[in-house]
Amino acid sequence: MSGSFDLGLALLDRQLLDSEGRRCGKVDDVALEGGPGDALEIAAILSGPPVLRRRAPLAGRLATLFSRDGRVRVPWGEVAEFGAHVKLRKPASEYGLGRGDDRLKKFIEKIPGKDR
Amino acid sequence: MKVFQVALGILAAIGGFVDIGDLVFNVAAGATFGYQLLWVVVIGVVGIIVYSEMCGRVAAVSGKAVFDAVRERLGFKVGLAALISAQVVNLLTLTAEIGGAAICLQLLSGLPYRWLIVLAGVALLVVVWVTTFEWIERIFGYCGLCLLVFAVAAVRLDPAWGAVGKGFVPSMNTESPLLYAFFVVGLLGAAMTPYEVYFYSSGAVEERWGPKDLGLNKANAMIGYGLGGFLSFSLMIVGGALFLGQGIEPEHIGTIALGAEVPLGQIGLLLALVGMLFAVSGAAIDTLFAGAYNLAQFLGWEWGRYRHPSGAPRFTVTWAVLLALAVALVLTGVDPVQLTEYAVISSAVALPLTYIPILLVANDRSYMREYVNGRLANILGLIYLVVIGIVSIAAVPLLILTNVGQN
Repeated sequence: MSGSFDLGLALLDRQLLDSEGRRCGKVDDVALEGGPGDALEIAAILSGPPVLRRRAPLAGRLATLFSRDGRVRVPWGEVAEFGAHVKLRKPASEYGLGRGDDRLKKFIEKIPGKDR
Repeated sequence: MKVFQVALGILAAIGGFVDIGDLVFNVAAGATFGYQLLWVVVIGVVGIIVYSEMCGRVAAVSGKAVFDAVRERLGFKVGLAALISAQVVNLLTLTAEIGGAAICLQLLSGLPYRWLIVLAGVALLVVVWVTTFEWIERIFGYCGLCLLVFAVAAVRLDPAWGAVGKGFVPSMNTESPLLYAFFVVGLLGAAMTPYEVYFYSSGAVEERWGPKDLGLNKANAMIGYGLGGFLSFSLMIVGGALFLGQGIEPEHIGTIALGAEVPLGQIGLLLALVGMLFAVSGAAIDTLFAGAYNLAQFLGWEWGRYRHPSGAPRFTVTWAVLLALAVALVLTGVDPVQLTEYAVISSAVALPLTYIPILLVANDRSYMREYVNGRLANILGLIYLVVIGIVSIAAVPLLILTNVGQN
């Protein structure tokens, strides 16, 4: 990942996809590293309702009320590719992403439908 | 075979274009101003074509649906405001469509309205849960084509065709310019209803459109919406030929169906009611999904029409909750026609928040590559942004000043 790009425009708020193409959250924030005088480097992608609290305190608090999902930190090295979406190297569960969907799935699966 | 498939898709799109907003506003506009406002429908239809084509192209090239773009371009805070306004408008629209379906069922069966609201809600739930989307589109699209009875009715009523022709040229011949403006806003809002682009763009992502499908995208948008607009003309002409100057305001769904019964008799009435039932029920399904798409896309959840709804759990729960909320709202006894007026006017307010991010994303060369907006798409896009900007600002004052189109 070299070259320059606008973090706010090209990375923030993009869709996260895991190695299987599953949608598993958004880039809610980005962790940067670097001391005074150093060039900043992207250290990790942050995702989850608690992260949103920093960007929009009221709405973020509401989100944390409704969702038990915690703050997830995905190291930058886990990003396989980023363009229109941000693709990760492993399945969502290995990062703790997409837990809300996993929890509900158990209940909805029990209801018969077209196909299982 | 491919041509056949495209033709089938287009047929379904025509049947799917008209929803309760179009039914109410076109017939009411005809009843109040005759054919004078036909030109507004043309502007509205071109607008929905321009933005649908753009959304479809963005979806095909980048895999992003509308609320992916909203979140990305407006950020979390402003995007959240866009999301909330979209969801409120969606819920109002959904409620109006379900109420409309229940009234059609009542007129067809004579059973009590309250039971039929519950029946309509349960039927929608079952249909969405057990039927594939391919079939949903076919069943509701084709049965919605019964609405073509209004085109036959328009011809049968033998309107003054010269006056109809003049209606396509903007002019204002009225003593109540405010009411005229109210109907302009309403007709634009009804034609450019935002849930249509949410649904369309998400559908394009779901069907895994790629750059090779851009021709299909253009054809779908132009022919589908274009011919849908033709149905809107018919409704307004029927409204004008039958109700203008009679002091009849189509404030009940049954009055709209009367537009087909007077010139065509019982069979006209039956076709009109069946067409309306399937058109508003199909629109209810689109709106229901649009609401779930928006929330899931904004928050990054898995979404889509999976074989089994457990493929996208939070998405499924979202639409189920929206359906329950809408049924509960209809059960409060709110009048679907009046609710439609509020829904359409509030969708006019929310239009810019939907369309600005799309225009921005469609111009982003970093992932749209050679498929970024051309000059024509940008010029039209900007013109429509100005139009919907004005409409958005004028909508609420007009709603108040005209007492919801009553004076």
